[in-house]
Amino acid sequence: MNLREFNRILRQTLFLPVLLLMVLAGFIVWEISRSSAELRWIDHSDDVVEQTVRLEKLVLDQETGLRGYQLTGDNSMLAPYRMAVVPIARQFSILRDLVSDNPAQQAHLADVRDRYQIWLGFAQGVLTKDAAVVNDPRMNQRGKELMDNLREALARMLTTESHLRKLRADAALSIERRELLAVVVSSLIVGVLLAMFTTSRLRRVSKTYDATLEELSRQAEEIYERRQWFQTTLESIGDAVIACDKEGNVEFMNAIAQELTGWTADEARGARLTEVFHIINEETRLEAENPVEKVKRLQTVVGLANHTALISRNGKEYVIDDSAAPIRGGDGEMTGIVLVFRDVTEARRSEAALIAAEKLAVAGRLAASIAHEIHNPLDSVANVHFLLENETDPEKRREYLHLAQQELGRTMQISRTLLSLYREPKAPVSVDLKELADGVLLLLDRRLVQLGIEIQRQFTEPSVVEGFPAELRQVFTNILVNALEAAGKGGRIRIRIVPVAAQELRGSGMMVEVTDSGPGISKQVEENLFQPFFTTKGENGTGLGLWVSNGIVQKHGGSIRIANNNDDSLTGARVRVYLPTHTIATASSRTTAYVA
Amino acid sequence: MQAVSASPLILCIDDEALGLEIRKAVLEREGYRVLTALDGSSGLTLFSDEPVQGVILDYFMPGMDGGQVALVMRKQRPEVPILLLSAYVNLPQEVVTMVDFTVLKGEGPSELLAKLRRMLTNPHESGNGGGW
Repeated sequence: MNLREFNRILRQTLFLPVLLLMVLAGFIVWEISRSSAELRWIDHSDDVVEQTVRLEKLVLDQETGLRGYQLTGDNSMLAPYRMAVVPIARQFSILRDLVSDNPAQQAHLADVRDRYQIWLGFAQGVLTKDAAVVNDPRMNQRGKELMDNLREALARMLTTESHLRKLRADAALSIERRELLAVVVSSLIVGVLLAMFTTSRLRRVSKTYDATLEELSRQAEEIYERRQWFQTTLESIGDAVIACDKEGNVEFMNAIAQELTGWTADEARGARLTEVFHIINEETRLEAENPVEKVKRLQTVVGLANHTALISRNGKEYVIDDSAAPIRGGDGEMTGIVLVFRDVTEARRSEAALIAAEKLAVAGRLAASIAHEIHNPLDSVANVHFLLENETDPEKRREYLHLAQQELGRTMQISRTLLSLYREPKAPVSVDLKELADGVLLLLDRRLVQLGIEIQRQFTEPSVVEGFPAELRQVFTNILVNALEAAGKGGRIRIRIVPVAAQELRGSGMMVEVTDSGPGISKQVEENLFQPFFTTKGENGTGLGLWVSNGIVQKHGGSIRIANNNDDSLTGARVRVYLPTHTIATASSRTTAYVA
Repeated sequence: MQAVSASPLILCIDDEALGLEIRKAVLEREGYRVLTALDGSSGLTLFSDEPVQGVILDYFMPGMDGGQVALVMRKQRPEVPILLLSAYVNLPQEVVTMVDFTVLKGEGPSELLAKLRRMLTNPHESGNGGGW
């Protein structure tokens, strides 16, 4: 139930009873007005009776006066008689008005008036006669008869009105009873209706209240469950997770994070992140930048610098790969920072092993050439030795020795080139790419000759960059072996070395471009060129060549781009290796330490 | 030096010019008559033009390799013995079974001369199978 519905019910329970009670009050007022009309008729009857009695009394006063005069003949006795004349006329007038609504009483009143007039006529007669005659018994009898008639008419009128009053009183009583009953019944009905209505509304509200309570408790439970779920999920993640508030105090750590840092979650809670998550640069051994500060500064997801090592509480060192991201509240404000990292020490070792394997594979691919290059001159030297043993002519001997010298020189050159594949200075040195390319071509010479591949050299002077020569030689051996295998018998390979000017995102440097006359690269192969273990050579390739080469070139701050050449008659693949004049590489392959 | 007619004529094919010259000198000192060729196709021309009695063949060469050259020679004159000389150890098996003898470069001249002598005296005895 929402607030609006609740307010509606509240209004209903307020206004409906008021309305009902007003209707009830109206009904009662109507009933009361009805019964008071009835009561007014009773009062009217009482009025009629009272005025009639007053008239009778006045008439009796007149008769008494007349009787007194008759008996005594004293005129003073007539005072009441005379005094009553005007009031009696007024009484008649009042009564006429009062009974104007009732024809029966009008008839009775007319009868009374007639009989009074007759009696009055008799009384006038008495007054005009001599005093001696007036006390005549017959006369008295006559007066008495007339008065009795009058009183009889008056009594009839009174009786009628009394009867009327009784009827009216009965009616009023029954109306009163009915009213009482109606009020009681309607009050009962209103009461019951109100009770029922209120009960239903209250039940409604209480039901909704119950539902709301249930919903709230269900929601609370759901929130709790979700919280548990998230907690468990974070705990179960294979990467280490640390969450901290925006001040950089640790709030949460999962099991892996506890294992790597050496802190338990309870110990770490509230501690500074920098204390718990102690990171350094693997090579320089200097403190690495605090990720909290970095995230605060950049307000976005940040990755850690390369070569970051985590020093755990017990001094153990892990090479880690990680990212830190801001946690934002509903208003977009940063409320904390979450750190996700993983131990890549093992991965680094495997990577190193792969790189080492690829080095051996390069040697393997060169094996045929090397065997030839070394065994051919050695064979010649052995032959010369054989000839010398049996030769006495000094001229001939000198010639043989010179031949042997030449062949041994070749052997030395080959072995030096071969060794330089593996010997590496500790810091980058100046590398002449032209010399380097020539050295690689020398090692491959045998195969190039055998396949009858024509090499076009387009070198410019100078072609010197900073770098690690053995690694670069490995890169170019890879690229040239790929090119000669793609070009095949009678194919052509063009090697260009050209300087490139500085551009927006990279400094000046050299570009080595190797283009072959082979079939080129298919779209599907192109997508996977730099993936480890991807090879088009079946069992003859390790699938690591370009992956390792790319790593080496990237470490030097350079890049490798491979595309199909459409510029001229060479329609095969075109590999462009860009190398900056000043390298960013600080050490020879980071993996060597693990491999030795 | 022995009589010219009596000494066997050997065809020596190798793309290494210097090594070939020295080998020729060694063989001549042993009394063989020697023809040299720097690649497979010119060697095959000499093979069909001259009464060659034995062939010393390099395996790794530009153009036709030793195996391909030997195949053509076997088709033309299967009775002429062939000695395959190579610096490379992992020679294809079908090539090894096709030739009479194999010598690894670096084994020295005495080994080469001994195998050549055996090959010329017993053309049908194969030195392969037990050697390497």
